[in-house]
Amino acid sequence: MFRLTFIILVLGLIRILALDIWGAVLAYRRAGDKNLAWGTAIKNTLQWIFPTKRIFTRRPIYSLFSILFHVGLILVPIFLLAHVQLWKSGTGLSWWTLPHIWADILTLTTIGFAIALLLGRTFDKGARFLSRKQDYVWPVLLIIPFVTGYLCSNVELGPGTYQVLMLIHILAAELIFVLIPFTKIAHCVLMPLSQFVLALAWKFPARVDEKICTTLNKKGAPV
Amino acid sequence: MRTSIITAEEREKAFAPTKKPQVIENQKLDVRYHVEDYDVQDRPRRFLEAFAAILKHTNYRFALEHFIRISTKCSRCAVQCPVYQATGDKRDIPCYRSELLLSVYRRHFTVAGAMRARLLGNGQLTDEKIEEMAESFWNCTACRRCTLECPSGIDHALITHLGRFILAEIGIAPRALVVSTREQLEGKTGNTSAIPVPALMDTLEFLQEEMEEDKGIKIDFPLDVEGAEYLFTPAVSDFLMEAETLMGIAAVFKATGGSWTISTENYDAINYGLFYSDRMLERIIRKLYAESERLNTSNILIGECGHASRSAKYYVPVHCGGDKAKPVLNIMEYTLKMIQTGKLVLKPDTITERVTYHDPCNIARQGWIVDQPREIIRTFCKDFVEMTPRRTENICCGGGGGTVSIDEIRPYRTRVGGKAKADQIRATGAKYLIAPCANCKKQLRELVEDQGIDCEVVGLHDLIYKAIDFEASYAGISATKEKG
Repeated sequence: MFRLTFIILVLGLIRILALDIWGAVLAYRRAGDKNLAWGTAIKNTLQWIFPTKRIFTRRPIYSLFSILFHVGLILVPIFLLAHVQLWKSGTGLSWWTLPHIWADILTLTTIGFAIALLLGRTFDKGARFLSRKQDYVWPVLLIIPFVTGYLCSNVELGPGTYQVLMLIHILAAELIFVLIPFTKIAHCVLMPLSQFVLALAWKFPARVDEKICTTLNKKGAPV
Repeated sequence: MRTSIITAEEREKAFAPTKKPQVIENQKLDVRYHVEDYDVQDRPRRFLEAFAAILKHTNYRFALEHFIRISTKCSRCAVQCPVYQATGDKRDIPCYRSELLLSVYRRHFTVAGAMRARLLGNGQLTDEKIEEMAESFWNCTACRRCTLECPSGIDHALITHLGRFILAEIGIAPRALVVSTREQLEGKTGNTSAIPVPALMDTLEFLQEEMEEDKGIKIDFPLDVEGAEYLFTPAVSDFLMEAETLMGIAAVFKATGGSWTISTENYDAINYGLFYSDRMLERIIRKLYAESERLNTSNILIGECGHASRSAKYYVPVHCGGDKAKPVLNIMEYTLKMIQTGKLVLKPDTITERVTYHDPCNIARQGWIVDQPREIIRTFCKDFVEMTPRRTENICCGGGGGTVSIDEIRPYRTRVGGKAKADQIRATGAKYLIAPCANCKKQLRELVEDQGIDCEVVGLHDLIYKAIDFEASYAGISATKEKG
């Protein structure tokens, strides 16, 4: 089951990444002007992936919460000792792990900031207006493996139902894996491409006027 | 950036109806800008046909695919949008505006969207939705500040640009822009202000006399000089409204001995295509380029005009041969280069009153023209103050994206679109507001008038005109010649 969902995750992400890049390659080929501002795009990409200064000039609290939320969200599942051990026993691969205390802290901050962001979304009138169903479901869904995982690794806190919690933990994580490639969490792989898409999108193909006119039967029509 | 939400009274003025109910009824379109009569039958079907045709022949599809996958609806863009900051209307949040078109794309042009619609049986494009788009896309001033703030990198301005293009294909576009473009491309005069050649000649002659009186020397506007280095093309409205800017530019060329010419075949760089139709954008660019070929000039030089500069700079390469196309420059690049090489000398401290500078979105946002004007200003203005935010993060004058040419929405532009800018100008306490853009100048003059700000809106070359030291400039030229 884990294998299946993980494969769906990986293949799903490869698919959208490949589609995205292929679309960009085709667009680049058609572009009338191929001078892209690569430098600016790279700089902007790095600035958004590692937001240090720029992001705090507006909505600083929201920005800080959002960043801290992502830090735990990315680091804990990948570098938790228990997860790495599972990978090692399954595949023989292993890597650096988070110290236990840090894993705990990051788990708690992720849960806390996820709730804070969810509340922010609910009470900010602009964000509430924009939000779709998945925007509310995702924070809740993401918290589940973190809460259950925290309880499982700190058994003294747990109500003694380790097996049940672990089952919920694994099933929730598998559900997340399956959903990622098909929902907004796809931004985890697409975001680094955004600034390049943005630079390229304004590079139109040359001479489309006539083609569009032909398709729409507007040839020779007045302006 | 924060500006306060407008009062109920202001709102009433800004959104006052501009059309008779009968017109709205006939055109099935409750928007404030005027639209020429068009075929109202079957709008959704025709909208989708136009959308499909555009997707087929252009590059928008890959960007839309990227945007629909990545959008997280975080609402950060709301803090950057001057329009939303002024109206407080949630429908003005850039991400919402984009979603109007993205939802149509998702529903009608993706497999997942079509399947979803089959299962849930809804989401068809309706007349109401088209009307909402027609209203929303023209409330935006296309300043592109929201793009700076989107962590996901969604270009809301691109989506609005595309939305306007599709709407224009079914006949929904501001009449002011369409009529001007028609005159420019198909009319007798060949320019958006419908200025005939004799009137142009009269104006230029008058300006020459004026300059001779002012400066005691003969300053020319060379016409149709083949093989000149620069083909100078301003926004044609400058010939009517910005005489001082043109005199400043002519004086700069005189002082620097530059080789330049104005074409009598095409003296209009305005490109409303950038605001409502890529097809028109292409035609106007090709027309401009053809003129530089005819006169065999080495460069194309655009006057003080933001959108004309941007459309020429970025779309001449697209439509006229990529790398091989002739270089496009903005006049401020030329002037600064002349100052730096010692060929143009401006008398220091000519302007003693407080001066501030407005960055036109179309040349500043991408970081193209931000340092040049500031360097020029510092050489001859004593008291130069900056606005905040500025440069690539500047705030729009409120008349961007072609809206300034739509006279009937002036109350909207000066109360909503330009509100944040008005706050900024007031804070500087400047006597002169330099805005090197025909579009911004018109809007800012209306803005300071409607908002009661005591400030004179000028072009950069209007002030340079007062500061040129001809003798020192000539000396500089001979010095560089000797060196060379």
